[in-house]
Formats: sequence, structure tokens, C-alpha cells
Amino acid sequence: MSEEADRLVTAALRDHARIPAPPGLRAKLERKYLAPRRRWVLASVSAFTGALAAAAILLLLVRPGRPAEDLALAPAREAVGDHLRMLIGRGLGVEVSDMHQVKPWFAGKLDFVPPITFLGDDDFPLAGGDVAVFLGHKAAQLVYHRRLHVISLFVFQGEVPDGDRTIEGFHVVMWSRDGFGFALASDVNFDDLHTLHAKLQ
Amino acid sequence: MPLFSLRGRRPPLAVVPDRPAPQPTLAESALEYVDQLYSLAVHLTGNASDAEDLVQTTYARALAGAAQFHEGSNVRAWLFRILRNGFIDLARRKKIVLEIPDDTLDARVPESTGLEQLRFITGSEVRTAIASLPVEYRLVVLLDVEGFSEAEIAEIASCAPGTVKSRLSRAKAKLRTALQEPR
Repeated sequence: MSEEADRLVTAALRDHARIPAPPGLRAKLERKYLAPRRRWVLASVSAFTGALAAAAILLLLVRPGRPAEDLALAPAREAVGDHLRMLIGRGLGVEVSDMHQVKPWFAGKLDFVPPITFLGDDDFPLAGGDVAVFLGHKAAQLVYHRRLHVISLFVFQGEVPDGDRTIEGFHVVMWSRDGFGFALASDVNFDDLHTLHAKLQ
Repeated sequence: MPLFSLRGRRPPLAVVPDRPAPQPTLAESALEYVDQLYSLAVHLTGNASDAEDLVQTTYARALAGAAQFHEGSNVRAWLFRILRNGFIDLARRKKIVLEIPDDTLDARVPESTGLEQLRFITGSEVRTAIASLPVEYRLVVLLDVEGFSEAEIAEIASCAPGTVKSRLSRAKAKLRTALQEPR
């Protein structure tokens, strides 16, 4: 009995004790400690190779910042991957068209209540929900329909870079609010995703 | 069998170069542990803002004192030790009284009566239970979760390995009691 209790406590610690860092913190540290080294290396090269190397440095310095782009791509890829897994056969944990039935279904399965009040309408009927793992965190996955298309909404604790991305032909719209990250993924066009995004605000 | 699979898309095989890959710098190696350090920091400080400051201070101290780091040593344990020391400095500045755990107290807990409750623990309950522990108990429990050995935890926490063992045992007993309390 006691060993079983210890095992359960150890498992609970392993599953729930870790709190991931906000994405902005990692980006800030990378900018501070990785970028200066690159700049120093480039400056040294320029001293030996003259104007040609200086021009190269200029090109490198004005290129778009990679860390910000990578930060947005990783969650976008994850959203498309999870959306595809649902489409190709994983199905949904609960299939109902009423948010009042979907939200209670998440109780006990998630550490948080998904801050979603949009119940679905004629344009975007709610199809159901499930628990997904999004970037290592438990997330609520809500599924809406748009005509014959399917749209996944992922809601998780944390932040995600705001923005639109296209991965393998699927569109993803991401935003953060009140400590939660949101990602919409679907093969519908961005206009439809932005319309749903507005309804979810 | 699915019609298509993401796993099936593999990049073309790369030609293996003769030269060995460049070794990551200390900063690159250190930045692999941002999540783990932040997790400990937020549990110790109790809020995200202080935790972010503590992690940034940890990296600033670590990389400013990189000369003191011996190549081949354990970067992760070194960073955690700096973070722990940084937290003690922060507590002093903020005049936070750190509760000294009484390592002589009996670690036994009453025979389990709420086993069913332990099967349905949520993350917030776990985090609340951790927050109820004295700081040094929190430290050993969280370092244990991160997979450090008792010897490594002793090095990070600046105490004897025997003390780590007893603190870990008492901390888990306290957590078990807290998590089994009626909710």
C-alpha cells in the first residue's frame, strides 16, 4: 500500500512538476549569448579580408532574424502534425456539437479550463474535442467544421508567437492571451481562419 | 494503414564529412537547460517574473565565470548550483526568511488511506503541494525529478549525501500527506 502511494507520488511529480520556460526567455538568452559571438567572429574575419568580407557581414547582419522565425515554425509544425493525426484516424475523444458538453469532458483530463466561449455557429459548427500533447504540454483540441473542411483549435498553457504560417499546404494561425497559447490549423484559407479567430476572441 | 504519414518523409542521406563536427560552445551547451532551470526557479521563487530574472542572472554569472568551468565537468549540475546560490542571494535581498528544515523529524506518514486520490492528481495540486514544502526540500525533490543523482544533488545543495537522502524521503512523505488530504 505504502509503496503504491510512493509510486503514485513519484509519477505525479514526474508528470506535473516541470514548468516550461516561456518561449520569450529562451529567445532573449539566445540573442544575448549566441549572437555576440557570431558578430565577434564576423568582425575578426572582416579585419583580414577587407571590403569583401565587410560586405558579407552587412548581408548577414541585415538578414531576417532566425530565432524569431524558428520560434513560430515549431508550434506551427506541431499544430499541423496534431491536426493530421486526428484526420488520419485518431478521431476525437468526445464528439458533440455543444460547448457545454465539451468543456465538462475536459474536467480531470487537463490542468486548466480552456478559456473558450465560442460555442460554434452555422458557419463554424463545433464537432467535438480531445486532449492532445502540444510541444510537450497537455492541450485541449477543439474541432470545428467549415463547410466540408475540418479546423483544429489547440489551447495550452504558455505562449506562442503571434502569426500565420503555412506548413505542407496547411494554414496555421497562432496567438496568445492571458497566459494561454492558441493555434488554429486547417486546410481552409486564411480568411476563414481569421474569421474563426475573431469569433474566438 | 494510413494513406500518408509524416514519418515516411525522411531527408536525403547526408555525406559524412571527414572533419569532426565542431564542439558546441559553453553558451550553446548551457542554453540547452533553460526549461529545467526555469522550472526550478519558478518553484523556488513562486512567481514567473522572479524566476525569469533568476534564470537570466544564472546565465550571466555562469558565462561571466566561464573560466572557472573545467572542460568535461557537468555543465548542468554547475548551472543548477549557480541558480541555487543566486536564489539564496535573491532571498536575502528580498528579506525572504528561508525555513530551515528539521532533518531530525520523523519521516513516517500514516498508513495510506487516500490511495484513490493519488491516482487523480492534477498538475495544480502537485505544484501547490510542492510550494508547501520548505525551500531545501523543494530543491532536492525537483533536482530528483530532473534525474540528478544523490551525490550531484548534494554538490548542488551544498550538503552531505546523507542529508539529501533524508530530505528527499521527508519531502516525499510530506508531499504524500498533502496530496492525500481531502479536497
